[in-house]
Amino acid sequence: MDWECCWDRDAIAMGDCPNIREGDEDLLASRQRRILEKCCDCANFSRDLQHFRESRHPLADVFGMLHDEYRLQKNQIQSLVSFLDNKTLEVRFLHELGSVLQSSVDLEEVLSVALTAITAGKGFGMNRAFLLLTDREHAILKGYLAIGPRNYEEASQVWNEIACNDMDLQTLAQNFRQNKLSSERAKFHDILEQLSVPISSTDHLLIRALEDKHPILIEDAFHNPNVTAGLAHLLGVDTFLLMPLHSRNRRVGLIIADNCITHRRISENDMHSLETFTFPVAFAIERASLYDRLQVELSRITEAGNKLKEQQELIVRMEKMALVGRITSSIAHSIRNPLMIIGGFARSILKNTPPSDPKRDFIESIVSETRQLEGVLDEILNYSDSLYPTRDFWDVNQMVETSVRDVQELLIQRACECHFEPEITLPLAYIDLKQVSYCVRTLIVSDIDGRSGEIVRITATGHDGSIQLRIEDSQRKVSQDELDALLTPFAITHDMGTGLGLALCRTMLDKQGLPFVVIAPPEGGITYMITLPTQKEEES
Amino acid sequence: MSRLLVVDDEANIRLLYAEELADEGHEVVTAASIAEANIKLQDGAFDLAVLDIKLKNESGIELLQKLVKERHDMPVILCSAFSCYKDDFSAWLADGYVVKSGDLTELKQEIVRVLAKKAQRVKAGL
Repeated sequence: MDWECCWDRDAIAMGDCPNIREGDEDLLASRQRRILEKCCDCANFSRDLQHFRESRHPLADVFGMLHDEYRLQKNQIQSLVSFLDNKTLEVRFLHELGSVLQSSVDLEEVLSVALTAITAGKGFGMNRAFLLLTDREHAILKGYLAIGPRNYEEASQVWNEIACNDMDLQTLAQNFRQNKLSSERAKFHDILEQLSVPISSTDHLLIRALEDKHPILIEDAFHNPNVTAGLAHLLGVDTFLLMPLHSRNRRVGLIIADNCITHRRISENDMHSLETFTFPVAFAIERASLYDRLQVELSRITEAGNKLKEQQELIVRMEKMALVGRITSSIAHSIRNPLMIIGGFARSILKNTPPSDPKRDFIESIVSETRQLEGVLDEILNYSDSLYPTRDFWDVNQMVETSVRDVQELLIQRACECHFEPEITLPLAYIDLKQVSYCVRTLIVSDIDGRSGEIVRITATGHDGSIQLRIEDSQRKVSQDELDALLTPFAITHDMGTGLGLALCRTMLDKQGLPFVVIAPPEGGITYMITLPTQKEEES
Repeated sequence: MSRLLVVDDEANIRLLYAEELADEGHEVVTAASIAEANIKLQDGAFDLAVLDIKLKNESGIELLQKLVKERHDMPVILCSAFSCYKDDFSAWLADGYVVKSGDLTELKQEIVRVLAKKAQRVKAGL
């Protein structure tokens, strides 16, 4: 019998078999492989088999049965291989997605990956996706982010761009996050704004989908009784998929996906694949949200910790200062009583000592030295007081007037004058009245100390939320060295006496954070300037 | 002549006050403690009391409160080594406050001022 097929030949040439093409050359010399791979499906072989049946050979029917069964099983195997290949791709995709989702605690990154996976061709290939998140504080399901084209032109442009760049899923998600997240949010702002539903609206389709925990495929949306006309028109598609996101029984949010451009049918398979995908997404969103809240709490705790540390340091410092104050005060008290007794009795003796008595000079020296020591003691006590400024709002005009009145007697004794013209509209200053009054008195006294005929002018003017207090003596001449010494605690100057005077003023003002400037130009004159705030620090 | 009660735990300060205030024409009675002051107060009336605040284990403020309550017609001047008590609310009950100094001029002036004020009050029948 002449056979049409090549199954009976050990070797054939190229062209002898219509099914052998380029790349199959090794089958030309391998009869067994050629029969199994090519002949069983070849039309020539089928005809040869038909001839064999017609020959009525007893094995012809059996052979035909075996051939049919072989072809059936081969097709089944091919179908299973194809199914396996698809599943392998799906597992790979989910693995890639899972790795990114599991390793990220950045909410924006998680959302970018999730939405990119839903819409990318290499992912689930949906055209468009909306993400709605549950706002527990306000008990609302709220449109948060969306991805996809809004029209055919944009779709064509975006898909071409993706096809040209051939990016993997992770790169696509990164690209989306870096370049498109804000613009996509702005692009869908109008729809996202309207996709807000109170959790209590249990009749609303979106809330029902969220509660049901299973995906819902909506078809024929414009005529579907479950879909409000508003929602159908807002999305503008007749078929869409609602996928709730749940993590440990917590309602994280909802994804709405559709094929608004291609109108490709959403299959059962699509639904199942997407349902599998929503578990890691919901978990990742929940984790990233918790991480965000944790970060906020952490920064709050860190801030509170820092404040606590500052407070602790302040308490320690204040305790130290209080101790210094108590010690200083106690020493001063121990010294003051004997000093008072020495000075008092010396004065008493002096009263009864005639001017001609040679001992009078000695007694006068005792009186004078004790007076000076009492002065030093007052300054030391004032210094310990200066450690605790107590601030409040005070009238600066009144403060200056009182301070000038307090030193009036001394001014008269020294034939000096002090002029102050109050500014009526001056606001109240936030200061420690006692300390600033002390400074004003000290600055006047220090200026006229050991002099006569001095004229001191004081002005207080308002400037941008503060008051500028100027104490000026145009006749006085002070060198820079003397000025430095004056502003140094316990420094001694030849011409201007000893003590804490101005240095104490500077310390007091520093502690209140009040700028204190002394200007003494070489050509003469001295000006003290104190800037007083009109608001508390936290208000300014 | 005014009759003054001086309460101070320092013997030399009591002596100084007695000498100086006697020179000013006052009759001065001194006490070293609150208990002694109470005894002296029972002996006769005083025109004014000068109290130290920090007595050994006692407080002149306590005596001040007692005097304000029981002898409201007798003015009191607090005389202390500490200026800080000036800001103590209890110290505001006193008619005057002087920081101790070897120069008793301020104390003497304060005594004159307070006595004059008392005399005005008496004259006004208050």
